[in-house]
Amino acid sequence: MSGSNVGIQEQPEGHYVDLRRIELLESLRNEDQTWSKLAPRWCVTNPDPPWQVCLDATCDALSAGGALDSLERRHAEDELGETVYSEIPNPERQLLALAHIMVSRGLLTEEELARQIRTVRARLEAV
Amino acid sequence: MANTHNPGGHAHPEDGGHDHPAAPMVDEISDFEILELAVRELAIEKGLFTAEDHRAFSEWNDARSPAAGSRMVAKAWTDPAYKARVFADPLAASKEVGVDWSEPSGFGTTSDYMHLTVLEDTPALHHVIVCTLCSCYPRPLLGHSPYWYRAPNYRRRIVRWPREVLAEFGLILPPEVEVRVEDSNAKSRFMVLPVRPEGTDGWTEEQLAEIVTRDTMIGIALPKPGRTSDGPRPIHKASRPVHSGGRPREAAP
Repeated sequence: MSGSNVGIQEQPEGHYVDLRRIELLESLRNEDQTWSKLAPRWCVTNPDPPWQVCLDATCDALSAGGALDSLERRHAEDELGETVYSEIPNPERQLLALAHIMVSRGLLTEEELARQIRTVRARLEAV
Repeated sequence: MANTHNPGGHAHPEDGGHDHPAAPMVDEISDFEILELAVRELAIEKGLFTAEDHRAFSEWNDARSPAAGSRMVAKAWTDPAYKARVFADPLAASKEVGVDWSEPSGFGTTSDYMHLTVLEDTPALHHVIVCTLCSCYPRPLLGHSPYWYRAPNYRRRIVRWPREVLAEFGLILPPEVEVRVEDSNAKSRFMVLPVRPEGTDGWTEEQLAEIVTRDTMIGIALPKPGRTSDGPRPIHKASRPVHSGGRPREAAP
């Protein structure tokens, strides 16, 4: 996890999650890619992106398996939503927060996530 | 048959195509779509859960419906002791109609906090629920929210002009009925317990549950005998129908 660009005003420690910014996730917080911008661009009226249901199932499965308790995730998500990701709308905020919590708790490393993002991107863009 | 799809559509030449326009789709891979897949696949790779677990949770989530909420209201209408429990301990009362808010994780669903308040309508007081911030909704009891509940049009306007918005749904309340709009938030869920309508004396819980539709528990409609969610659509004959006049005479054989 990168702590190199911690702002002066920023609180690095929350009660439930490390609030230091994660470089990889910072590079993904592009508002132009959020569903609220994407959907009107393609004249789509569905209020939620198709991946929302998958994200919910991931959170449920993580909690059921004991890897990341739902209640703690929600508290951590609240802390991140009020600070690091306050300008990103939901459900993108929920997704960034989940990735942030998993990295900060050592369930994933930033390097592993970067590698998997490259793999998924290559696979999706190949067809 | 000619394909008349829009540019976002897709052709099926092998089956002769179909001539309805396809709904528009986002034909662009977003960074967030990729991030969701990457997080999920890594979690599976690391053994935090399995692909089968993930599929099962998705299916469980999608299968919920307003039926449990309907049973809760019908039971409250017929059993005063249960009605008292609905207000005193709504989560325990939910369990009695088969809904455990702590499922599937032990702490509820992904975004439903275990805090529910049931709002009792009276002949002089009508409640309607909204989430002005996003789309918070009592999903364990009512299933997924309707699209309009999540749309800014409803969220922004129901709190400012409740009577006008209710009228747009066909619910016109007399001025002497007080309207209260309850705004959900990240941690609280609300559900409306409507007034039992006249003409339902002697009905069973099952009969009553049929008229307690989703919209009556949101508060944009009132239950009434004969109005069920799977009943016939209201079709009114045109008062001044337009007649085509049939084929022109000269074309007749």
